[in-house]
Amino acid sequence: MSSIGTTTPNQPLPRPDAALNSPPSQQLLDIRDLIYQVAGILQPDHRIRFLEERCQKRMKVLGFTRLGEYYDHLTKGASRTAEMTELLNEITIGETCFFRNLPQIEALKKVVLPAIVENKKRLPFSKVRIWSAGCSTGEEAYTLAILLLEEKAGLLKNLNFEILATDLNERSLEKARAAVYGDYAIRNLTPYFRQKYFNPSGNSLAVKDEVKSVIQFSRLNLRDDARMTFMKSMDIIFCCNVMIYFDAAVRTKVVQHYYNNLLPGSYLFLGHSESLYGINQAFRLVHFPGATAYFKPAPVVGGVK
Amino acid sequence: MSPLQFTQIQRRIAELDRIPTVPALLMPLLKFLGQPAEDVDVNRMVGLIAHDKSLSAQCLQMANSPLFGMRQRVDSVRGAVIAVGIRRVREMATTCCLVRALPRPGGGIRPDSLWRHSLGCALASRHLATKIGFKDPEQAYLGGLLHDVGLIVELTLFPKEFDAAFRMAAEQGRILTEAEREILGTDHSVIGSVLADKWSLPPEMKEVIRFHHDLENSCKNRTLVSIVHLSDLLCRFRGLGYGYAEFRQLDLTDEPSWQYIAEDLPQVRNFDLARFTLEMDDCLEEIEQLVTSLFNIQ
Repeated sequence: MSSIGTTTPNQPLPRPDAALNSPPSQQLLDIRDLIYQVAGILQPDHRIRFLEERCQKRMKVLGFTRLGEYYDHLTKGASRTAEMTELLNEITIGETCFFRNLPQIEALKKVVLPAIVENKKRLPFSKVRIWSAGCSTGEEAYTLAILLLEEKAGLLKNLNFEILATDLNERSLEKARAAVYGDYAIRNLTPYFRQKYFNPSGNSLAVKDEVKSVIQFSRLNLRDDARMTFMKSMDIIFCCNVMIYFDAAVRTKVVQHYYNNLLPGSYLFLGHSESLYGINQAFRLVHFPGATAYFKPAPVVGGVK
Repeated sequence: MSPLQFTQIQRRIAELDRIPTVPALLMPLLKFLGQPAEDVDVNRMVGLIAHDKSLSAQCLQMANSPLFGMRQRVDSVRGAVIAVGIRRVREMATTCCLVRALPRPGGGIRPDSLWRHSLGCALASRHLATKIGFKDPEQAYLGGLLHDVGLIVELTLFPKEFDAAFRMAAEQGRILTEAEREILGTDHSVIGSVLADKWSLPPEMKEVIRFHHDLENSCKNRTLVSIVHLSDLLCRFRGLGYGYAEFRQLDLTDEPSWQYIAEDLPQVRNFDLARFTLEMDDCLEEIEQLVTSLFNIQ
């Protein structure tokens, strides 16, 4: 049982697409649960048809006709781990663009950054550090850079700031450094931002140097324990749709690194449907309007709370 | 605008009879609510609902919404009772009756926002109650549905003051009760409790209405009140609020309501709040549609 109310989908009137609206099969729900268990990603009811499509796409490649066969392949097949990665790839593909998650951006601007700046005032080192972990082709990192630049004369006045953006994939990093983006990536950009932070470049837009200068791109494997311990004094970590590539043990370890990398009173943002349930208990799930994050609390001053 | 004087509040609450559309049907329905489900005279209840054409149309609209999902389409109130049982039909009828109790032109707050919030809170409360093993999920539904009835009273009796409070809260992204206390000198939980007395609501509902912003003073049904409180917060942070966003950081497990629930039902400590939040989002569209269609039938 998954949704509020009752889950049984109900179609009052027969529709031409009735087949699409029949209740999801048990195997599909099992695959949904499996993905949640393995990768911490929940495909909620309104995405269940999407999940089915993606499964079918994989089934076509593999030559399966029934979802049951595919479920067995995912759970018992010799290449089940690799297949899960393929399926997760299908689910999270093409989700990146500038200003993708607006409630998250609002929360950042109105709650998270002010809280961090408030903390900084009490400390001698006043640099705001944000890490885009698994930055892919850079859209998220540049969005964050634009946000910070917008606050340069306001909230962040007299404060230094920098963004570290890392990825495992060298090709993605090359694209990120080149910083030229086509229609799909820029579809959410308002004319104001286009004009202020981008130069036209053929049919695409090129990020201006001012924005580039905020970010340092580098290659990093999140499984590399030695290097992970060097990522210190972070205020915010973004790690969206990356953890899906790890099993529970690696995820636990990576998240523990993040916890250590972050300063007290700081934040970890995950992808929209990702959760740390069963992975880490030190982070606290916090809500902002329409968005969530994981919070590393500051130690309580003055002893017992 | 200066806070209302206590005597003013008393005087105006004495005029509560003026609440325009306390639907005639709500009173007998509320009587049914006070009874254990097995004691309800099904024929009388169905007769009562079916007698009112638009009420039964609304009930069927609800019965056929995926939120109350049934396997087959139902086209009569009796059919709904057979398909989902007396408890659910009782919930639906009460919901529809309440939707009518709202004065249409709202002071600041939009009536549909208010009903989306109430319905969302009802569904979230029931879902949460079920998931954490609370004994009576129907009670949680009704608590969620009714917790804000005080807003109806404010909209009716103090429209100017309420409008000012609502605007202040919305403009500053503040908690509504704070703004109400500042401008009206009281809030919808206190005012709602007067209405709850007048309507002779069951004692648990009175407690939810009176104490959902004042949990420490709730005593008999603190777990129930806490479930509604958490659902209320979560709705306000997931697009089912009063029509504006409260820009602050909310940690539900830090809320006293969470602690109260944990004292009674320790298993809540293992509850997957992240998943629950995403599941709430599944209902947004359905709630939107249902509230719109309920308004259209009126």
